[in-house]
Amino acid sequence: MTSAALKASADAFAVRRPRLAKLLRRAPRFRDLLAVLGGAIPLGVVGVVAFLTIYAWPAVMLNGWGFVGGSEWNLGSTYADPIVTNGIPVLPGAHYAILFLIGGTLLSTAIAMIVAVPVGVGAAIFLAEAVPSWARLWLSLFVELLAAIPSVVFGLWGYAVLIPLVGKHIAPAMSLWLGWIPFLGGSPGNGYGLLAASLVLSLMIVPLITVTLRDAIVSQPDSLRETAAALGATRFETVWLVIMPGLRTVLIGACVLAIGRALGETMAVLMVSGNALGGLPSNIFGPVSTMASFIVSQLDSALTDPTGFAVRSLAEIALALCLMSIAVNTLARLLLSYANGGRP
Amino acid sequence: MSATTNRPLVHDLALARRRHLISQLGWIVCATTLAMLGVAICWILGMILIKGVSALSLKIFTAPTQGNGGGLLNAIEGTAVLAVGTLILAVPLGVAAGVYVAEFPVGPWAKTIRFFCDTLVGVPSIVLGYAGYVLLVQTLGWKFSAAAACVTLAMICLPYICRSSELAFAAISIDLREAAYALGAGERQVILFVLLPAATPGVLTGILLALSVSVGETAPLLYTAGWSNYLWNGRLFDSPIAYLTYAIWTFINEPSASANALAYAAALLVTSFVLVVSIASRLLIRPR
Amino acid sequence: MAIKHSHPGIASSFRGRVALSAIAAAAAVGAGAFMCVPAFAGQQMIETGSSLLYPLFNLWIPPYVKAHAGLEITPQSTGSGTGISQAIDGTAQIGGSDAYLSPALAKQHGTIMNIPLAISSQMVNYNLPGLGKTHLNLNGPVLASIFQGKIVAWNDEAIAKLNPGVKLPNEKIVTIHRTDGSGDTFIFTQYLTASAPEWKSLGYGTTISWPSAPNAIGAVGNPGVVDAMKNAPYSIGYVGISFKAVTQSNALGEAALENQAGKFVLSTAESVMAAADALSGKTPADESLSLIFAPGDKSYPIVNYEYAIVDAKQPDAAMGREIKAFLSWTIMPEHGSAAGFLDQVSFVALPPSVEKLSQTQIDKIGQD
Repeated sequence: MTSAALKASADAFAVRRPRLAKLLRRAPRFRDLLAVLGGAIPLGVVGVVAFLTIYAWPAVMLNGWGFVGGSEWNLGSTYADPIVTNGIPVLPGAHYAILFLIGGTLLSTAIAMIVAVPVGVGAAIFLAEAVPSWARLWLSLFVELLAAIPSVVFGLWGYAVLIPLVGKHIAPAMSLWLGWIPFLGGSPGNGYGLLAASLVLSLMIVPLITVTLRDAIVSQPDSLRETAAALGATRFETVWLVIMPGLRTVLIGACVLAIGRALGETMAVLMVSGNALGGLPSNIFGPVSTMASFIVSQLDSALTDPTGFAVRSLAEIALALCLMSIAVNTLARLLLSYANGGRP
Repeated sequence: MSATTNRPLVHDLALARRRHLISQLGWIVCATTLAMLGVAICWILGMILIKGVSALSLKIFTAPTQGNGGGLLNAIEGTAVLAVGTLILAVPLGVAAGVYVAEFPVGPWAKTIRFFCDTLVGVPSIVLGYAGYVLLVQTLGWKFSAAAACVTLAMICLPYICRSSELAFAAISIDLREAAYALGAGERQVILFVLLPAATPGVLTGILLALSVSVGETAPLLYTAGWSNYLWNGRLFDSPIAYLTYAIWTFINEPSASANALAYAAALLVTSFVLVVSIASRLLIRPR
Repeated sequence: MAIKHSHPGIASSFRGRVALSAIAAAAAVGAGAFMCVPAFAGQQMIETGSSLLYPLFNLWIPPYVKAHAGLEITPQSTGSGTGISQAIDGTAQIGGSDAYLSPALAKQHGTIMNIPLAISSQMVNYNLPGLGKTHLNLNGPVLASIFQGKIVAWNDEAIAKLNPGVKLPNEKIVTIHRTDGSGDTFIFTQYLTASAPEWKSLGYGTTISWPSAPNAIGAVGNPGVVDAMKNAPYSIGYVGISFKAVTQSNALGEAALENQAGKFVLSTAESVMAAADALSGKTPADESLSLIFAPGDKSYPIVNYEYAIVDAKQPDAAMGREIKAFLSWTIMPEHGSAAGFLDQVSFVALPPSVEKLSQTQIDKIGQD
C-alpha cells in the first residue's frame, strides 16, 4: 500500500474508533512497558485454562455428565484395538467417572477443616491476646514456619511417623472407643487412608487460619476491649464474646482460603492416602484418592492408552480442579476484602 | 452489675466464679491448641533434623546420585539452576505487574491484572504442572527440560512477587512521588530510581517467598523437569535435570537403606533452605 | 498476605543494604559457578521404564560407561507404561518394559520395536507373620478370587484346600496392586486370565480397572509394593524376581504357583528355564510373545521376556550407533548376559535362537 493509502485508512480508522486510535498513536510511556510485562499474569491464567479446555474437550464431550455421576476409572482393554465413538477413538470398555475423587477431595478437606478450625482459632486467640507483644513475633514465626514447609516434606513425615502411629495406635483406639459413631467404626486398616491424609492436610492449612485471624484480632480497636473491660467482662470473654463475633466474615474468609489450599494439595496426600482406585472408603481409616493426587498417580498408567483418551480424561480432572479452586479462592478473597472494607 | 441489681450477693458471686472458671478453661484450651501446633512443628523439624543429619556426609555434596546411592550433587545443582532460572523469568514480570497495579490502579487493565493475580494463587501447582507437561513438554516438543520447568515454576511464583511488590509500592507515602514529579522526573525515573529503592524490603520479601516456593515444589517438576543422574549439561531444552524434591519423593519408597538416607538428606537440605529464607524475609520487614 | 511496614528492617540502613548486596553477590557467584560447569560434550542416553528391569540396568551401566568414555546413560525406574510411552515420543532412547507393545500401538508406530534382553519371572509374595519357611500353594482361580474380594480371609477353605496341614491365620487379606502403568501388572493379569476363567472379563494390561476389594492398597513400582507389604501384615502382592533378595531380607514369603500341568512350582532358575524352553521356539520375528502359563511339569507359570522398547528411526545417527552398541553388548553371553550380571537379579539369559532374533532387531536401529 502506498503511504497516501495508508494515511487514508488510518484517518478512516480514527473517525470510526477515535479513542482507540488516540491510544495507538501516542508515544509509548514507561507505564505501557509495565502493562505489557504485567500482562504475563492474565495471559498465563487464560492460557492455561483455555489450553486445558481445548485439550480435554474430546474427553468432556465423550464422558459427558456421567463423568461426575459414577465411580470408575477404567482405561478399557489396553491390548485390544481402539473403537471409534462419536468420531473419537477410545479403547473398548473405557469408562471414566470420578465421583469417588470428588468425594475423596471433599471428605479429606472437610475432616481437615474440622480439625484445623478449632486449633487455628484457639492458637490465633492465644497469640493475639495472651502473648506479650515481644514474644508474639517469634511465636507467630513458629506457626508461619509450619506454612513454609514444603508439601513433600509433610508427606515424608506422614509416611515415616504418622502412618505407623495411625495404623498401630490411633486407628485401633478410635475404632474401639469411638466405633459407635457411624463412619468411625469398622476395620482400622493399616494407617494409609483418609484419617492420615486429613491429619496431614489440617497441619498444612492451620497456619492460614491462624495468621489471618491473628492479624484481624490484633487490628481490632482497643476501645472495644476497654469498653468490655469497663462492663466487667474477663479477658477471655472480651475476646470470645465481643471481638470474635465481629470477625465472623474474616473467619469464614480464612476458612475458605484454607479450603482452597487443601483442595490443591498433592504430594503430602499422595504419600499417605493409600491411593484408592475406584471407590470411597467405607470408614475413616480406608484408602482414599483426591483429584490432585490422582493426576500424579495415574499419569504414567494413562500413557499406556494408545488413543490418548486417558490422558485427556486426566486433563479433564485437572480442569475441574482448576475451576473449583479458582471459584473457592475468589470467594475467599471477596469475603476477606468485604470484611476489611477494601483490599486486605 | 451486682451493685445496681436487687439480686443477693451470693448469687452474683457464684455467677462470677463460673464465668471466671469458664474463662480460665478457655485460655487453657487456646494454650493447648497453640501447644499442639508447637508440638507438631517440633516433631516434623526434629525428625527431619535427626534423620537428615545422620544421613549427611561429604559424599552428599560431592557426588551425583548413582542408582540407589551416591550423593546429591546433581540434585543440589539442579535445584539451584531451576531457582535462578525461575527468578530470572518471574521477577521482571512480577515486579512490573505489581508496580503497574500499585502506581496506575485506575482503569480496566490494572483491575484485570489484580483479578488474575488472585486467581493464579488459587490454581493448584499440579494443574500448572500438568498443563506445562501437555503444552511445553509434549505439544511444543521441549521434552523434559530446564526451560519447561522454569516456565512452569515462574507461573507458580508470579502472583507472590506481584502481590508483594504491589503492597510494597502502595505503602510508600505519596509525598515521595509528589516531590519526585515536582523536581521534573519522568515516570521511569520516579519508579526505578525513587520508588523501587524505597520498596526494596517488600519486593525482596516477595522474591524470597517465590524462591522458597520454587525450591519446595515437587508435582509440577515431576512432569516438566524429569530426572537426571548427571550434573546439568547446560542445555535448556530436551535435557532433563535433577532436583532435590524428586529425591525425597522417589527414594523414600525404595526398600534400600542408602536410598532412604538420600531422601532424608534431601529433605534436610530443602527444609533448612526454606526455613532460612522464611526467617530472612521476616527480618526484612518487622511488623508491629 | 498483609505486610505491615511500621519498622522497615535490614534494607533501610546502609550497613543492611551492604550486607544484603554481599549475600546476593555471593549467591550469584555460586549460581554462576554451578552454571559454568562445562557442558558434557558426549552422548547422553536415557533409559526409563520397568522397575523389574531397573536393577539390572543399574548393574550394566557403570561398567559399560566406564569402558566407553563420552557416553552417559541415566536409568530410571518409572514403570513399563512410562517406558513404552517415552520411547515412543522420543523422550527416552530406551524404554524398559516387561510387556510387549499392544497391537494398536505397534500399528500406530511402525518403527517401534520391542527387543528381549533377558528372561525374567515374577513372584507372588505375602506377609504372613508366623508362617515360617513354608511356601503357600496358590493357583490362578484362588488368586483371582482374592484380588476380586471374593476370598477375604487367609483361612478361607479354598486356600486351606491347597495347603493341607498349614495353620492359616483368621485375618483379613490385604491385597496390594500396582497403580502405575506396570509390566508386572501385565504379566500377573495375563496369568490370571490364562488360568482363571472368572478373570476373563477383567482382562490383562499394564493397567486394569482393579475390582474394589476391601483393604486394597495401591503401590507404585516394585519397591513400593515391597515397602507396602512389609508395613502391612497379612498382605499379598506380586513382585518382580529381581527383588527376590529384598523380599527375603524383609521376611516376606513366596508362594508356589500352580502351572498348566497342575504342579506347584517356585521360581527357580530351572523352572524359569523350563518355561522358556517350552515356548521360546514360538517367538515371532517381532518377538511379541507371552511366556505365561507355559506347558510342562517343571515350568514356572509367570515367566516373561524383558524388553527394550526402541525406535528404529533415531533422529541422531551417533546416538543410534551408541544404542545399537549398548544393546548388542547386553545380550552377548560373555558381556551383559553373563551369569555375573543376571544371577544377581535372578534373570535367565536368552536362548541362542531368541538372541539371534534380538540381534536382528537391534541391527535395524538407525537404518532408516
